[in-house]
Amino acid sequence: MKTVVLVSGARHPVSRRPALTRLEAQAASLAAKLGGTVRGLHAGPSDDQLREALGHGLGEADWLEIEDRVDPVPALIDHLKAAAPDIVIAGRRGEGTGDTGLVPYALAEALDMPIIADVVGVSPGAGSGTVSIEQALKKGARRRLVVQLPVLVTIHPLAPPPSPFAFAAARRGTIRHERIEATGLPTAKPSPFVERPYRARPKMMRQAGAGQAGEKAVLVGPTPEEAAERILAFLEDNGIRRYSA
Amino acid sequence: MTPAAFLPYLILAMVVLAGLRLGQRVMLWRGGRAAHVDWMAGLKALPKRYLVDVHQVVDRDKSASRMHVPVAGGLVLASGLLVLGLVPALAASRLYWTLVTLAFLVMVAGVVLVARRRYPQPMARLSVGRWQRFPIYLAAFGLGGLVTAGLAAIGNPLPALSFVTLVIAAGGGLKLAFDAASGPIRHALAGATHLVAHPRPNRFDHDEAKGRSTGLQSIDLNAETLGAKTPSDFAWNRLLAFDACVQCGRCEAACPAFAAGQPLSPKHLIADLAAASSGGHHRPYGGHAYPNERPVAGEGGLHAKVISPDGMIHPDTIWSCTTCRACVEECPMMIEHVDAIVELRRFQTLELGAVPLKAEEPLSHYRGCDEPNGRALAERTDFAAGLRLPVLKPGERADVLLWLGQAAYDLRGQRTLRALIQCLQAAGVDYAVLGEDERDCGDLARRLGDEATFQRLARENIAALGSVTFNRILTADPHALHVLRNEYPAFGGTYDVVHHTAFLAEMVAAGQLTPQALSGRAITYHDPCYLGRYNGETEAPRALLDALGLERREMARSGKRSMCCGGGGGAPSADIPGDTRIPDIRMGQAKETGATTVAVACPQCTAMLEGVTGERPEVKDVAELLWEAVQASATAAPRDSRKAKELEPA
Ligand code: SF4
Ligand code: SF4
Repeated sequence: MKTVVLVSGARHPVSRRPALTRLEAQAASLAAKLGGTVRGLHAGPSDDQLREALGHGLGEADWLEIEDRVDPVPALIDHLKAAAPDIVIAGRRGEGTGDTGLVPYALAEALDMPIIADVVGVSPGAGSGTVSIEQALKKGARRRLVVQLPVLVTIHPLAPPPSPFAFAAARRGTIRHERIEATGLPTAKPSPFVERPYRARPKMMRQAGAGQAGEKAVLVGPTPEEAAERILAFLEDNGIRRYSA
Repeated sequence: MTPAAFLPYLILAMVVLAGLRLGQRVMLWRGGRAAHVDWMAGLKALPKRYLVDVHQVVDRDKSASRMHVPVAGGLVLASGLLVLGLVPALAASRLYWTLVTLAFLVMVAGVVLVARRRYPQPMARLSVGRWQRFPIYLAAFGLGGLVTAGLAAIGNPLPALSFVTLVIAAGGGLKLAFDAASGPIRHALAGATHLVAHPRPNRFDHDEAKGRSTGLQSIDLNAETLGAKTPSDFAWNRLLAFDACVQCGRCEAACPAFAAGQPLSPKHLIADLAAASSGGHHRPYGGHAYPNERPVAGEGGLHAKVISPDGMIHPDTIWSCTTCRACVEECPMMIEHVDAIVELRRFQTLELGAVPLKAEEPLSHYRGCDEPNGRALAERTDFAAGLRLPVLKPGERADVLLWLGQAAYDLRGQRTLRALIQCLQAAGVDYAVLGEDERDCGDLARRLGDEATFQRLARENIAALGSVTFNRILTADPHALHVLRNEYPAFGGTYDVVHHTAFLAEMVAAGQLTPQALSGRAITYHDPCYLGRYNGETEAPRALLDALGLERREMARSGKRSMCCGGGGGAPSADIPGDTRIPDIRMGQAKETGATTVAVACPQCTAMLEGVTGERPEVKDVAELLWEAVQASATAAPRDSRKAKELEPA
């Protein structure tokens, strides 16, 4: 069986650096467990996400280098047509700057493959040329499907957790690099917006200034002099009134 | 020939037999990785290393030093003298035999002292089994030699008895020689060779700062295997070190994980590693089992995987360690347990990704955003909103660079940092922070075996530090201090790093901060492992606390021999369950002093000790105590001057 795991150009939600999404790490681990030949595939400007996927169990990958903002779908279609995989596994949503989450659907349509969303398990089917797929439905329900290969599936977060990242595996894995010329490919217009991660305003902490360190005593029936002295001391300590000014 | 005349030949036979047996062991050591050893310097330093460094540790247990000097000294002296007995003229001299008798007498006296530690009841931390039988062989050799030589000294009046005692001496002596490579006596030659070829020779250099010999050593990330999978992945002198262990159990008695009932005993671990290279324990291990022992197959081999339920050591064992170095501090054989543990962890993490479930998260955050807690670097200074924290831009300079560390993300740690910053402002220090350019120092990643992440962070931090100018780095986190001071130089970043306790003590001594006495409070100071043991800094925080007029009480374990809070080495992330928790044990010790406050100097210790439930002393960082005292003097002073003013208007 030939499996291809699609890796998107996702970014880390905090640092905005290229990063593999958890879903795709789950996809990589699922594919590695399935056996057969497994390759990662990414079309985009950097191979960082692919490198990370190698650390989660993919042995090999193909990187179709295209410029930022160039539509990756035509390059992916060409590649997948030639590679003719039995199963293509993808994430199910965009987690990067320009991702739409529609790539798996566009590919399934172009390659004329059935697409099955929200998959939590894939195992070889009973008949030859089939796989048994477990699909997550609402409210924790599951459905088992037996489908004819080839098929494209997207992964659900409830799929088994990804196998942990191993640096040595990422280092040993091989990435085949191919540059795709952008001429003639659809290109997104530069966005007029600047994107910044949401950032909560820092909270002002009440400061343990010199003023509040004073005693919070309750004075019962103080003499007028004493009471006045306390009030003046409070005003002075909190910078509301200054004698020295 | 008299029976005594055979004694020199017995010694020769023992030397040959021991040599043959040791030869096999040497071949095993050679199966380890190559290591650079300066033999000449090591040999030259051997007497000092033995007589000063080893003795200092051995002497903490007087019964050990008192027995070892006569046993080892007597054995070596008697054997040496006996070899001279091959000269016929000497062999005929009664004076010579008197000398030999005296040497044996010294040895026998020592054996009596050895036996007293083991019979009728062995001390709890000692191993039994072959170690319990060891004094019997020593006694046979010593007593047999004593009587044989003694009779020769008085003219050999009872040849039959001499013959019997010669046979006894030969039995004991040959057994000792036979065991030279596999039995307890192995520690003698392996130990001496280990002192010569020690993998960290600078730990014996007392003029050098302590931290220089405690930083973890880096590995080449392009090497074929990362970390240690099999015994042969250790450097050869590390294999040698494992063989030097005398199973005295001092490390085990000091180990916080062992005390808390986690499946770790440094002594057992070293014994396992020594046994692993030659195919497992040939006889049952004679010490305490790992607490809550996880079953392992116990199979080993020079090229067999060590850490595995099918191997010698269960993974939970190495993940229980807090890297507190208490074991290293206590080991009379100068064995470096932490290095071995980290080397084994490196293989698990880098090659297999087999980290404990909970430790995966911080490591994955590290890879994603440089902070183990998954927070944005830009949020590090948020806690100080309103404190006007100066941030250094590339090209700018400040006298003191304040390294905030992870504490800046933690509510409790922020209280400490705020106190520190306020002290700095009150003292008029020219300080600044790196802001967004400060990444985590990588301490946690490195101790969890993720050397790749550590090295990346080290390089990026060094680049950020190189873009600004400062004289010193100040930090309130001993882990960051240790890493910046002792582990970054390997990557080209050498800095003058000062811990906040030392820095604040300096400020107070110089009169830049004038705290008022906080008398009437009894405190006890908990030494952070990474400050006290790793860097030898135990005085400055105490001096500062004394300057605050606090009544300082010491816990039984303090200074360089302090007990860990359980927070280091990624142990809280690995979270291997035990019978109790390390911080509970430590807090119990603090309570025993009767102190109402535990003074701490590390955000990890603060978090661990504050996590102890129930009635307990309050936990305060030294900086918080100082700021409290500075405030007390600030509020005291203006009030007096105001009183004077109020008289005027009338
Ligand atoms: S490792 Fe060191 S302290 Fe521990 S038992 Fe062996 S010799 Fe003793
Ligand atoms: S470093 Fe500390 S926790 Fe680890 S084995 Fe040694 S004593 Fe035990």
